[in-house]
Amino acid sequence: MAHLAHYNEAHPLPFKITHWINLVAMVVLIFTGFIIHYPFIPAIMGVCRGMHIFCGFVLFINCMARVILAFIVKSAPTNGTRVQVLDYKTWLPQPDNKHQGLAWIKYYLFLRKEMPLSAKLGVPQKISYLAIPLLIIIMFITGVALWIPTSGPFTGLCILVGGVMNMRIIHYFLMFVFIAFFMLHAYLASIEGSALIKVMFFGKETEGMHYDVERHNVIRTGEHE
Amino acid sequence: MDKEATASQLSEILEARGVSRRSFMKLCGTLAVMAGLGEAAAPRVAQAVESSVIGAASGNLYPVIWMEGASCTGCTESFAQIDAPDAASVVLELISLNYCETLSAAAGESMELARTQTIEQAAGNYILVYEGAVLKGWEGNAFRIAGEVGYEPLKETAANAAAVVALGSCAVNGGWCAAKQVYDPNGSDARAALPNNGAMGVQQFLTEEGIDVPVINIPGCPPNPEWLCAVLVNVLMLNAIPELTDEGKPAQIFSQTIHDNCERRGHFENGEFVYEFGSEEERKGYCLYAMGCKGPQTFSNCSVIRFNNRRSWCVASGAPCVGCTAASPMHPEQNWVDMHAPFFKRHRTINLFGMHIQPQTIALSIIGVEAVALVVHGFGMKAAGRTKGAPIEYMRDWDAKHPDKSIGAYSEEEVAAYKAAKEAKKGGNK
Repeated sequence: MAHLAHYNEAHPLPFKITHWINLVAMVVLIFTGFIIHYPFIPAIMGVCRGMHIFCGFVLFINCMARVILAFIVKSAPTNGTRVQVLDYKTWLPQPDNKHQGLAWIKYYLFLRKEMPLSAKLGVPQKISYLAIPLLIIIMFITGVALWIPTSGPFTGLCILVGGVMNMRIIHYFLMFVFIAFFMLHAYLASIEGSALIKVMFFGKETEGMHYDVERHNVIRTGEHE
Repeated sequence: MDKEATASQLSEILEARGVSRRSFMKLCGTLAVMAGLGEAAAPRVAQAVESSVIGAASGNLYPVIWMEGASCTGCTESFAQIDAPDAASVVLELISLNYCETLSAAAGESMELARTQTIEQAAGNYILVYEGAVLKGWEGNAFRIAGEVGYEPLKETAANAAAVVALGSCAVNGGWCAAKQVYDPNGSDARAALPNNGAMGVQQFLTEEGIDVPVINIPGCPPNPEWLCAVLVNVLMLNAIPELTDEGKPAQIFSQTIHDNCERRGHFENGEFVYEFGSEEERKGYCLYAMGCKGPQTFSNCSVIRFNNRRSWCVASGAPCVGCTAASPMHPEQNWVDMHAPFFKRHRTINLFGMHIQPQTIALSIIGVEAVALVVHGFGMKAAGRTKGAPIEYMRDWDAKHPDKSIGAYSEEEVAAYKAAKEAKKGGNK
């Protein structure tokens, strides 16, 4: 067993819930967004427009809640431990993954065999998870700038980006950034076994190696290859 | 002042034109609404038209100078094509059109004289209607008029006007003349802020020249004659600039989208769309959204006022809205042609390093590449035996190189194992 243990402490219930909401809202937003862009299933256009706007607000509010909760709820800084710290510390760079960015890139490009020592979130993950809330906020702003009832205060912003049409295209491209992230995220979460999926969605823990958060190293008890 | 036109009693004019008092009042009602006064103000507008113009003891009409910039004269045609005398044309006859290249019988020097005389005699008391873009390219020689650089007469005429009406999208922000990014008929350097002809709108030009005069932007390709009527009534007869939007357009005309009041809106709500011209859906008059209609993002009251004596308008005649009133006065690069071409697609075409390409093609290509990369990577992970997890490194590379600043604490066995692994790798490379 080369994997670290996956415990619920790494993903407390509030974050499982926000993750679920994110997933559902994003899937609905992407699908309804495609319909709104081009109504290839004409009959559901009206429903899709309503759902798109509803889910847009849900995603934004959920994102804000997730960021605020990061300063209230505690979670484990790494896998393989039940020790918990305030969640925002696990979101920002932490000692466990300092200087490990290059190692991760090498690992994913098959330039090294061993998996780098890491925090709960690896370096590429941290970068993308910090970018996603930003992306949700930008997506929300471009969205409300396009929706006529809320577009009033955003006229100037539309002119700044080169007109309403450009705003639409930005909104459209950013959706593909979500899709690209979504594909990568699902791939990386499942390619090395189902432990991550099990703990994130069903709260089912997987035993494995333990991690010492004081020593920033895994605990190898007689484990040798 | 024998050059000035005079008018007899309004009722006589109406009668002579075969326009009933009722349709005149109806027009006044519409004009009042477009001027932002509400329909109840119709009698006030009627009285203003009647007393201040017709009934005036002097009998003088308000002078208007109508200049052509880089235009196709389509905006003028939009008025001139009125096939029967109607109420709106009567209002237009209430002004003294002292200078109009397209409609005036005079030409050449006598024409230019009429303009300079109007400026002299009625300084600060006439209205300038400018049609077409201002061209600054080649030191202004891209557009010449009366032996002069084209924008010189504009400067002179605008500086002394009570107000300037920028009529048509070209006059608002360059329109067709500024279009360059997509179909590039106006100069080849897509990176420049302006096309080679230097096309821009009147407001931007006057701002750059430091000429301080109120500009009322009436976009459209062509603009609806009734919009100009409403503005003329407002400015000349009620002595007020209409309420304007942030873009300097009359707020009552350009505050709601085409889509808001579209006659096909019901089909949009029902999810009934035209996907192809000549289809059954088109015959049924379904919504043109999927055909690239720009109605949902285009601000104008076309769907209410309609064109050609309220007979029809683009969407009623079966064409999607092309968004011709989208024009941000200070931004020629945001002209409606570049923004909305191709007209039958939902998105504009992007000029990417000289390639004209739809955003959808770019996005789907990137996602396709990613999908292929992930599949290939997945096979790689399987080949590398990582699908059940890879072994975790014994020590961080950085820590091995910087033992004094090491992040992690490692046991002697781990350090030894790390070094052994490194040696093995080096050996393997030989």
